[in-house]
Amino acid sequence: MSENVLELNNITMKFGGVTALNEVNLVVKKGEILALIGPNGAGKTTVFNVITGVYKPTSGDVLFQGKSIVGKKRYKITKLGIARTFQNIRLFGESSALENVVTGADVHSKSGVVGSIFGTPRSRREEKAALDRALELLDFMGIKKRAGQLGKNLPYGDQRRLEIARALATNPKLLLLDEPAAGFNPAEKVALGDTIKRIRDAGYTVLLIEHDMSLIMGVSDRVVVLDFGTKIADGTTKEVQNDPRVIEAYLGAPADAS
Amino acid sequence: MDFALLRDAFWGLSFDGLALGAIYALISLGYTLVYGVLRLINFAHSEVFMIGTFAALVASSGLMGVKVEDEPRTGVSMILTLIVCLAIAMLASAITAVLVEIVAYRRLRQRGATKLATLISAIGVSISLVELFRILTDSLPREFPRIMEKTFLFSYAGADIRNDKVIVIVAAGLMMFALERFITKSRLGKGIRAVSMDENTSTLMGVNINRVITVTFFAGGLMAGAAAFFYILVYENTSFKVGFFLGISAFTAAVLGGIGNLKGALFGGFALGLMETWTSAVFGTAWKAVISFIILVLVLLIKPTGLFGESIQQARV
Amino acid sequence: MADKKHRVNLRDRGAEYWERSPKWRRVAMAIFFIAICYALPFLNNPLINTPGSDFQSVLFYPVGMYVLMAIGLNIVVGKSGLLDLGYVAFFAIGAYTMAILGTKTSLNFWEIMPIGVGLAMLSGVLLGTPTLRLRGDYLAIVTLGFGEIVRIFAVNTDAIGGARGIAGIPTPPDIFKAKFTILDPKPYYWVLLTFTLLIIWMVRRMAARRPGRAWDAIRQDDDVAQLMGINTRKYKVWAFVLGAAVAGVGGVIYASQILSIVPDQFNLNISILILACVVFGGIGNVWGVILGAVLLAFTPERIRFLSQPRILVFGIALVVMMNLRPDGILPKKKREHFDPDWHTVEESGEGQIK
Repeated sequence: MSENVLELNNITMKFGGVTALNEVNLVVKKGEILALIGPNGAGKTTVFNVITGVYKPTSGDVLFQGKSIVGKKRYKITKLGIARTFQNIRLFGESSALENVVTGADVHSKSGVVGSIFGTPRSRREEKAALDRALELLDFMGIKKRAGQLGKNLPYGDQRRLEIARALATNPKLLLLDEPAAGFNPAEKVALGDTIKRIRDAGYTVLLIEHDMSLIMGVSDRVVVLDFGTKIADGTTKEVQNDPRVIEAYLGAPADAS
Repeated sequence: MDFALLRDAFWGLSFDGLALGAIYALISLGYTLVYGVLRLINFAHSEVFMIGTFAALVASSGLMGVKVEDEPRTGVSMILTLIVCLAIAMLASAITAVLVEIVAYRRLRQRGATKLATLISAIGVSISLVELFRILTDSLPREFPRIMEKTFLFSYAGADIRNDKVIVIVAAGLMMFALERFITKSRLGKGIRAVSMDENTSTLMGVNINRVITVTFFAGGLMAGAAAFFYILVYENTSFKVGFFLGISAFTAAVLGGIGNLKGALFGGFALGLMETWTSAVFGTAWKAVISFIILVLVLLIKPTGLFGESIQQARV
Repeated sequence: MADKKHRVNLRDRGAEYWERSPKWRRVAMAIFFIAICYALPFLNNPLINTPGSDFQSVLFYPVGMYVLMAIGLNIVVGKSGLLDLGYVAFFAIGAYTMAILGTKTSLNFWEIMPIGVGLAMLSGVLLGTPTLRLRGDYLAIVTLGFGEIVRIFAVNTDAIGGARGIAGIPTPPDIFKAKFTILDPKPYYWVLLTFTLLIIWMVRRMAARRPGRAWDAIRQDDDVAQLMGINTRKYKVWAFVLGAAVAGVGGVIYASQILSIVPDQFNLNISILILACVVFGGIGNVWGVILGAVLLAFTPERIRFLSQPRILVFGIALVVMMNLRPDGILPKKKREHFDPDWHTVEESGEGQIK
């Protein structure tokens, strides 16, 4: 039980007449990089939304570190240790890169409005700690020089890196990356893959949505495949690569068509 | 608190409530239509209504030469006067609505401005129009001449059915029916529905967004203008601030029925007209606006989708 | 061409100058600026004299009062992006507290002040808690309604004066020989100025730290702010409550100066006027807001023919500002350099995180 950072048990998500997720079961083990793949519209981002509390599942349970988090408020889920990036970049564009990351780092500060007005020692300590951590993370993602620039003015690649830095600032136990390599050229993808591995090596667990197969195969420990809201495969990259159902889902024809 | 009044005059009050509700329904159509296509509350819509009342006033005195002291007209002259005033009110409101869109919203919409900026622009237009007319009318209300003799047609269960209110209810119903036909059958109407469902895809399908939006504002304005004429026919006066409370009530009606939903606007309008009239009888007219707000807040907190509408409160990530 | 660039970067240039100045120069400038503010009532220059009304009186109201209220509303609308159209209600609550407690009890101005502020804050909580989760446009309408309801309630409740309001409000007690009378607005102005400076100081502290970041995040993307761990509801209510407190302060001081109040003074137009100050000054930017308030409050007094259609001008100004300069006359910083007070920048991409 303590092996699994996250468990999705029979998650079904219906919107009106549409079933976006159908009895999806998956498990994320501590310290692994799990890839969630599938054709467009398979429900991958919906899974993220269910995990982070944006949607309440129609049925089923989400266990984070053994405890159910269904129905919890979103910010509480983040406090518990789940952070994410977004398919369409959603930075705080009017704020600087540094401010974006510090906002994430604020999660674990205890002081609030009153502390900031009176400048209590604790609030000053936490402010410095948040700033330090933010700078560290910007450095880690290779965008320290962008610290003072406004989020919306950053080049595309750096925006994606900033989103990851911001998510890491919340000190998550589980990091959800939603197509972090979208729009990257091959060299950048390789660099991103290395970064993801470094993130894992630093002690984070990663759940990754991606389309680029070589990135996935190079980085992930295990892969879960969704199609039309149903899980159709779950295993190591090798196992999934050769699974005929997966091939069919992507190519639309049986592997051994006569 | 006077429950006895409510009990004794129930049918009479309800009839009055329906007439008021017809006016609310017509105005709320404007709010709901614009909300459907722009996802925006058109703050200036109340002034579109207000201007309609003044247009009817100008039409009656300027165009048709009716003076307040005159005897009510009869026959063809009466019908002609009524129709001309109605038409002018509708046209004036419709044109105002379109101008508001061009001045307050269009540029911001095309630049992709924030909701906040658009709302503030709308408020600016609303305030400007109110102040403009306050200055023009010297802060004084204006009387509307009695063009039509107000007779009691018949009595029903103690309620005296007055002809002008009957006209309002019937005419409003006809207009709503016509609007519904327009929205469902005509090409422009389909465009409006398409845009309210999915703006991006509509553009891709060749819908001219600007034209659809202009038509939407125009249609909403027509309805508000009709409401303006009916209002002035029944209540025989107007002022620069007439738009404010009626606008709030009509907006509440739209929310009650489900904003973005035409059927909801109709239902909400009549429902609110009834509720306001009943509660005025019990609590007195001073608290009418408060009742409206309480209903609005309750609906927004308990069932923001309204009675028929879709919920637009969900987050999208 | 060069002129246009000049104007656009006015705030940036000012900010740059400030940041490049050593500490002593900053302190000197601040003291100088504050001293000027306190000395303003003694200025007697035909350029700024207000025909038709006493300059010192104008400094107190509307200029000083608008500045204070604009700073308060800025927290709500400017920083947090919550459109409050009923802000005048909190002002009214402060004023009525002063009026009622001043005439019915023996408490003096200074004792009533915390009560007035407390009541305003309480109403902020009561109004904000259920409504702040509504979307922007609905929030606007609901707050608008609240403002009107407070007024209607005051008009129709004879226990608090009804439509005729309350008269005979006591003046504050003397401070070291300075008498507070209706004839001399100066002491009132100085009290108002002192509160304003204190509040500016507090607001700036909050803005630079966690609350400011939270409000910025909420304004830009509420959903993502939640997902980044911000309890948006708590911070929104805080913004509301702090804004209400500031208005409450203004209300108490106002009532103690004007000595009699009627409900119709606290109407929608005031909410809109203050909103115009915030918008005009550049949403979110304290200095811009102050400048906006000063301009919008002072100009109609200086140019009398503008005074009558004042509200019309404001309405048009709102539309024009939003369409042409949505960031206000002193837009927020668009600087792109790295603040030298923080760590020095070192290029690396191979850092480790702990």
